[in-house]
Amino acid sequence: MPNPRKPEKETITICPYCGVGCGFKAETIGNEIVRMTPWKEGKSNHGHSCVKGRFAYDYYRHPDRVKTPMIRKSIDDPWQEVTWDEAFSYAASELKRVQATYGRGSVGGVSSSRCTNEEIFLTQKFVRAVLGNNNIDNCARICHSPTQFGLTATVGAGAASQHFDSILQADVIMVVGANPTEGHPVFGSMMKRRIREGAKLIVIDPRRTETVDSAHCHADIHLSLLPGTNVAVLNSLAHVIVRENLHKPEFIKARCEWQEFEHWAELVGSDEYAPETVGPIAGLDPEDIRRAARLYASGPNSTVYYGLGVTEHSQGSTGVMCLGNLGLACGMYGREGVGVNPLRGQGNVQGGSCLGSWPHVFSGYRFVTDKATRSSFEAEWGVTLDGEPGLRLPNMFDAALTDHFKGMYIMGEDPVQSDPNQNHIISALKKMECVIVHDIFENETSKYAHVFLPGSSSMEKDGSFTNAERRLGRVRKVVEPLAGYQDWEVTVKLMNAMGYDVHYNHAGEVLDELARLSPAYGGASFELLDRVGSAQWPVNKDAPEGTEVLHMEKFPRANGLGTFMLTGFVPTRERVTEQFPLLLTTGRILSQYNVGTQTRRTANSMWHAEDVLEMSLGDMQTRGLRDGDWVKVTSRFGATQLRVKESVRVNPGVIYTTFHHAESKANAVTSDLSDWATNCPEYKVTAVEVSKVTTDNRPRTDTAQQRPQHEERREPELAEAEG
Amino acid sequence: MAESIGTANVEGEVIDLDHLVVMANQIGDFFASYPPERAREGLRNHLRTYWDPRMRTALLEHIDAGGDGLQERVIEAARLLRDRESDKSGYYGPPKA
Repeated sequence: MPNPRKPEKETITICPYCGVGCGFKAETIGNEIVRMTPWKEGKSNHGHSCVKGRFAYDYYRHPDRVKTPMIRKSIDDPWQEVTWDEAFSYAASELKRVQATYGRGSVGGVSSSRCTNEEIFLTQKFVRAVLGNNNIDNCARICHSPTQFGLTATVGAGAASQHFDSILQADVIMVVGANPTEGHPVFGSMMKRRIREGAKLIVIDPRRTETVDSAHCHADIHLSLLPGTNVAVLNSLAHVIVRENLHKPEFIKARCEWQEFEHWAELVGSDEYAPETVGPIAGLDPEDIRRAARLYASGPNSTVYYGLGVTEHSQGSTGVMCLGNLGLACGMYGREGVGVNPLRGQGNVQGGSCLGSWPHVFSGYRFVTDKATRSSFEAEWGVTLDGEPGLRLPNMFDAALTDHFKGMYIMGEDPVQSDPNQNHIISALKKMECVIVHDIFENETSKYAHVFLPGSSSMEKDGSFTNAERRLGRVRKVVEPLAGYQDWEVTVKLMNAMGYDVHYNHAGEVLDELARLSPAYGGASFELLDRVGSAQWPVNKDAPEGTEVLHMEKFPRANGLGTFMLTGFVPTRERVTEQFPLLLTTGRILSQYNVGTQTRRTANSMWHAEDVLEMSLGDMQTRGLRDGDWVKVTSRFGATQLRVKESVRVNPGVIYTTFHHAESKANAVTSDLSDWATNCPEYKVTAVEVSKVTTDNRPRTDTAQQRPQHEERREPELAEAEG
Repeated sequence: MAESIGTANVEGEVIDLDHLVVMANQIGDFFASYPPERAREGLRNHLRTYWDPRMRTALLEHIDAGGDGLQERVIEAARLLRDRESDKSGYYGPPKA
């Protein structure tokens, strides 16, 4: 490989990938990026990077990039290339036609955590102020919506309590349903550093992940629980803590609602959550549960990091509440080295959460039903706003199937590939009359779209991201947008085409507006970020350069106290049967990113050319499978095919795959069950069967198995009710 | 304003009724850990602040038609949605009863 050419210019920006949000120097010659080097002053990465941010940037100029807007009357027609003006005018006229025919509530939008804070804010403004309803959601719906719900319920803020560096003060690190060495590698390295210095590690995960066992990383206790039993196990940890008096009454009395603590202690202290009861349900040795509970409670500084293995369950929000409860009970809040911290998948999941791309809250998590909040937005935006919650993303698709939802603006999302029960999503999209996809590549969803607006990658625009530690940093334009416009400009032009008059000279003016309307972002501006590099919210007049650790003196709830939620275990209705005896769970690998739209279009694919199915030797032998065989994975919802690999990382009865490649179609098999509070899909638990594929002619998916939702489940449910 | 949000010219529930019943019962399952009065209030607050009004209407109509398949505590809580007295502002955290 030739030496890198000498760059002409360096631009400081943020990595487009995971929620660590590493600072990078993008080095360019003319309009071409020649190198990405980690930025030493980056406060989340301190000059480190992983193989995604460092090497996987070439997707921005991949030949697949769409550079011209396209429209078509029907999804059966070929795309017709048009000018931007024609595209805006067609999209606007179609949205208006749909609203006139089917009602104001028949359209909506979804924004992406790959987009900037400014773009996410504008998308909700487009839906609320221009479309006139609250059918606005973002992709955190399908990953970390339970975090917002569960942490807000217990500690008042749906975000990480700590900054990443806080882990260097931790004595006990508990990782639940996350695999930071692969999914959040730069943070994972910091965690390994602390483990080398002597911190103890507890991992709660069905799989013996790389975090459980790899170089410089070995878990002192690994609870390899059965998928779907998080809440039972976390309650059991709490049971041991309460029964053995390991909790911290002085902290609880000073900082929490004592009465709610007593209710909680009564629930988790009951025999139902004794390790001897939960152990057999979760496939764990009761003594391991006791050891984990004692270690976590002993601290002195214990910290929790968790991921989608907690949230993507039918009790996802309850699982998050369990973690909040545990932290409060053991006094693990309000200083460095402790806390409860979500690890976010995408670069701007936290921003996506904060900035009002939700059907029930405006930016700052304030309810649309609250008149005073609504008035502040109405004054700024000059329109009357709807005071009722809108449809959530999965409900938009549900409502499409009943002909109540007909049009959608999809910014930087690919629901067909990302959302659960793919057949259901496709049927819903086919019933819509105006699907507008705004993205950098054609994707699985754009097959069902009527308007395609070419997007700009994060290398081509200005704005800000908020990483998993609440750190707001500047995304800077490194190269010119390939299709002519930055994404935020496209959304503004779409608003204008709909007849809403608004104008911003640059993205910084959008940040100024969202700062006026979002208390935690009150002091944020491009000027501040240019001056201090980055700032963690809350950033306001009390904390002009941001806040590293939350909850130091009080919790942001009305009375300033943390509280305990009652977290009874409700087993998921997705369970193994004779026909589907294995539990499929999913995760990520270091070199690829989510559904792979970006990384698969770079040389990183050499490291991970396909998704494989990990299976224990025993499960393979009973099915006559050998390493490398093609197998068909079948669930109640659909089927797909993968290559099988013998693995000691999964227990018998559990199988695992990554979901980075579109052709793997992992979501052809995932279920339609979702979190009780937020409808976050239950990706992490699907009952399946695996069989060998004998023919070389492998049809990749089986859409013939499609069936209406819940059809097969109703019978067992009724049987249970009767029993 | 709220009256015009509904989907004009389209009959039937906004979301498949079976699906709606499953969702409502899941919320009921969560609040089952609370004493009855608090459970009802928690459910009411949740449905009021998180559910699209068309979903709430469909649920209430289903209850009027007998509420087949719904948990009793869901039925009792959903009825509170009709009570203007209970139409208080949304909140996060434990049910305030």
